[in-house]
Amino acid sequence: MNKKSHNAHGAVVVATGLLLALATLPAQAVWYSDDGSIELRGFIDSSTYARDGVGLSKQRIQGQLEFFKDFRPSGGLFSELSLGGVLRLSYDAVYDLNDDEYGKKAGGPRNFPAPGNPAFFAALNGGAPPFPDAPTNPQYAGAFGPESLGANGAIPLPGTGGSIASPGNPNDGLRFAAEDLYGYGDGGTVLATPVRPCNIDSRGCIKDYMDRDLDELRFREITDDLDWLRELYLNATIPLKGGQHELAFRIGRQQVVWGRTDLFRVLDVVNPIDFGRQNIYAEFEDSRIPQGIVNIEYRFGATRLFEDINVQLLYKFERFRPHDLGQGGEPYAVLGAGNLFRALKNCYDNGCTVWNFPVTGTAVDFPAGSIGIRDVRIPDGEEFGARIEGVFKGVGFSLNALYFYSQFPSLRGGIPVKNPFAPPGGAPGDPRFYPYNFGFDIEFPRLLMFGGSADWYWDRAKTSFRVEMSYTQDEEFADTLSPRLFSKSDVYRWVVGFDRPTFIPFLNKTRAFLISGQVFGQHLLDHRTSSTNSAGLPSLGGDLGFQDHESNIFLTLLIQGNYLNDRLTPTLLAAYDTEAEAGVVGPSVEFKPSNHWYFKLGLNLKWTSGGPPVADDNRTANIFPPATCAPPLAAAGSPLCNAPYSSLGLEGFEPLGRFRAGPIGTAAREDELQFIVRYQF
Amino acid sequence: MNRMTAFTAAALIAAHGTATAAVPEDVIKASFYPYADGAPQHEGYTPGMHVSADNVDQIKDILDPFTYRYVKQGWYEFDTTETFPMTLHPNYIEATRQYGDQVTLSDQGVIENFRAGRPFPQEPDPDDPWAGTKLMWNFQRSINAGDSETIYPFWWTFRNANTGKTERQIRFHWHFLNWKHRTIFEPENIEPNPGEIFRSIYSTVLEPFDLANTQLLIYRYENDLQRDDGWLYLGFQRRVRRLASGQITDAFLGTDAMIEDFEGYNGRISDYNWKYAGTQYILMPYEKHNEQKVLDSEPAGDRDGFRFIAFGGKGNCFPQVTWQLRKAYIIEGSPKDPNHPLSKRLIYQDAETATLPLVVLYDKKGDPWKYFPICKTHSDYHLPVNKGKGVALDDCALFFDEQAMHCTTLQFKSSINAEDNRPNIFTVQQMRKKGR
Repeated sequence: MNKKSHNAHGAVVVATGLLLALATLPAQAVWYSDDGSIELRGFIDSSTYARDGVGLSKQRIQGQLEFFKDFRPSGGLFSELSLGGVLRLSYDAVYDLNDDEYGKKAGGPRNFPAPGNPAFFAALNGGAPPFPDAPTNPQYAGAFGPESLGANGAIPLPGTGGSIASPGNPNDGLRFAAEDLYGYGDGGTVLATPVRPCNIDSRGCIKDYMDRDLDELRFREITDDLDWLRELYLNATIPLKGGQHELAFRIGRQQVVWGRTDLFRVLDVVNPIDFGRQNIYAEFEDSRIPQGIVNIEYRFGATRLFEDINVQLLYKFERFRPHDLGQGGEPYAVLGAGNLFRALKNCYDNGCTVWNFPVTGTAVDFPAGSIGIRDVRIPDGEEFGARIEGVFKGVGFSLNALYFYSQFPSLRGGIPVKNPFAPPGGAPGDPRFYPYNFGFDIEFPRLLMFGGSADWYWDRAKTSFRVEMSYTQDEEFADTLSPRLFSKSDVYRWVVGFDRPTFIPFLNKTRAFLISGQVFGQHLLDHRTSSTNSAGLPSLGGDLGFQDHESNIFLTLLIQGNYLNDRLTPTLLAAYDTEAEAGVVGPSVEFKPSNHWYFKLGLNLKWTSGGPPVADDNRTANIFPPATCAPPLAAAGSPLCNAPYSSLGLEGFEPLGRFRAGPIGTAAREDELQFIVRYQF
Repeated sequence: MNRMTAFTAAALIAAHGTATAAVPEDVIKASFYPYADGAPQHEGYTPGMHVSADNVDQIKDILDPFTYRYVKQGWYEFDTTETFPMTLHPNYIEATRQYGDQVTLSDQGVIENFRAGRPFPQEPDPDDPWAGTKLMWNFQRSINAGDSETIYPFWWTFRNANTGKTERQIRFHWHFLNWKHRTIFEPENIEPNPGEIFRSIYSTVLEPFDLANTQLLIYRYENDLQRDDGWLYLGFQRRVRRLASGQITDAFLGTDAMIEDFEGYNGRISDYNWKYAGTQYILMPYEKHNEQKVLDSEPAGDRDGFRFIAFGGKGNCFPQVTWQLRKAYIIEGSPKDPNHPLSKRLIYQDAETATLPLVVLYDKKGDPWKYFPICKTHSDYHLPVNKGKGVALDDCALFFDEQAMHCTTLQFKSSINAEDNRPNIFTVQQMRKKGR
């Protein structure tokens, strides 16, 4: 056992011992100071998740302490003055206990068949292949050469000036960027990604965005952003008009929750989400990333027209933070985006081997600085929000607006690169913008969202309903018809949900089950596709243009029962992505034997109908004319070969199929058994 | 004091421009002073006697059948005390005197022409098909929580009735506010009130951690035919969730109570058919808190030195308070909704205060299910803030599920005050504000 693993085992033993020791303590309630003005509460828990085919995917020991101090102002300006906060620390031992999956031993060399290499090499050289024994087992970052010389590998494009393999970019510590998602049977483009923590292998790490080292993965809250200080805010309320109205402030790091919807974020977009923390479709309370916000409310209370009405203004003063999507190599990474980004970043920084490029069955080495992700641009502008919320004739409603930056990244093409088909040093004028090239910067576009929500109760159906909708301007999506490979689109999202307590007598005669369902829709209003490319050539595969679905519908269903006075709570949660034809079902049982102990055992099972979705992967674009011109056109001497044109539509899962697969489809191979034990006080 | 000055008889008279008392004094006396001519008596019963399995048969006629069975089985023993009046606040009585003859019922049994006080102070008429409904209106428009009540701390304890083991304990902070027809605190009607809310309940869970910050808000509207609105703030979601009315008749947070059970009955009058089933002298848990022989050791360190009513008996489910012989109206309620979990809600309404200190519930098959006594203390014998409020104050309660042999015991520290219950805390926004 290595030292780290030993430490991990030790930590687990200590945590387990601590939990057992707590069990022997007399019942401890929330702690209050003698005058009752200070309260402390919290928990320590252990989460053990095991993933099918992988083993341990989470072994997290976590402690959380919530505190609140009421200053109890008597007289003066404020009717309320208080300080609240939440501290959280966790240690995930999976990076030590399962370090060949997620830790410093993760990944390895990657090899793949490339029978098309000789022909492609011949094409590159304008003649017959130079080597009689064509390689059939090229390796990532290998040097293409006679196998008899022991130098098999991918074809280095001319711009590489030789092998991209080097001590700094070895064929080790790698995985295919989507190998945990599907089996690469579609012949589409494949990239390899480094997967070890960034202090072990810095390749592909994106500074200030996806660059966690081993300790930052183990101790997720120990970051430069002081994420252990999860929340810290000051509440102040100034009574006005004899106390009928209130002007209230909550200033500090906090969660601001908008909307009325479970699982979907239509209006609940003020705080970003840490998708790397836990699996999809868990409660957002634990995965929202609290931010420093000035939250001002003017509460009118009841007026002549409304039972309740208030106006809220938000200003984020802490630096912009995007969603944490999980970096390459983490067990939880929504859409597998972290792997893709790390692979692309490594391509730009060090060069990389791309399998099935330019056609299925070949593998080429791209030099550094020609494709991939160059940089990330974290915006530093202002973010504002406003909301009017109230109750009118028993109907709760809100109108919301947020001027913010997208928390999802946009890969904006158009960065200057070197032509990999030119000799080392690039073509004349390099580096420059090559239309349709895979060279990107990650940016977070400025967005403006308007929306609203309502809830009401319909007595005849014994059901409460909620609706929520939003209209967001200028979101950005991958678009293979665009020279920069992205386009803007306005997006309309909506959700309709219901809650209905329903007695199911044969399951429980005395306690109703909560049945809760939701339908969520997303529509890209400026979605465009075409069957012909920018040069008027017909697609060889699917639609060109936007690869996200123009419209999509998600369905969710929750059935929750309660037994033993709600101390035993079985739950069935299911979600289905209609376009991806992917679903997840999550049965679980919670048991609370006392005020202090909480146990949860759950399964998280996903399925998809058919294979992984494919999308135009842009490999057939004529990015570096004439080298990347389609062979039939080149053979015919077409003048089209001399100018860039957009993709001809050959498809594969990578890179854009993941957006069609959605968060459920990309996690289809992440079936898990989950167990949580918590001591709370 | 004196918050009640605005509702003096003079003010009422001035408002209506007449100096003539509308309700005959003998009706007022019978309704509000039933013990003016002496305490009730019953053969075999002596105030001060200790009631146990050994002697319960001799007083069977002055016990409800549930209490009798439990005592007979040896599950519960209690002391008794002299009957003492719990005279309601004079403003409430005066309002009744002025307006008690104006109130009528619609064809649907909905109260009309009501301003304040007890709507139907007259003795129930067995031949009146609406007699039961009128008694329930007397309860709903009573000062059960004195226009404005706060209960803090308020502990609900889950107990295994067989073993006495405490399973869970939920600690609450509750607020009750009457928006209309107020007689103790100004104003008579809180404005603005565009939704025409009659009454609001707002509560917050303080413990345990997994339920902490859960908040409940209920609006009962002046129009009894209008469905209640309810919202639940879930701390683990940090979001307000609209309640479906089905949740009103479902176990509340895993307790043995439904939201509909709060205070004896917390639904719309129009949700049930109510039948007056007679008048009876019966033992009920009315007491003087400060004179109880035994009190709980909790809440420890209370700044007022307050101690909860203790529980004991079978499974530690039964309140250790004194009972007394009082005049009660028996009301049988049958839910109109065929999907309602109950077949019958049998209520023993205290005639003097119109509160509901004894409620028993029958399941859909008609079998005895739950026993729900609410201890009421004289408000002069409780916290100093309650002195002179003229309210039969909630002091303890028990939800006993005899089929599951499980109980939830409720321990109150109630205070009648206006300061803690500003109207703007009874808003959905308050739940978000308070939410953590």
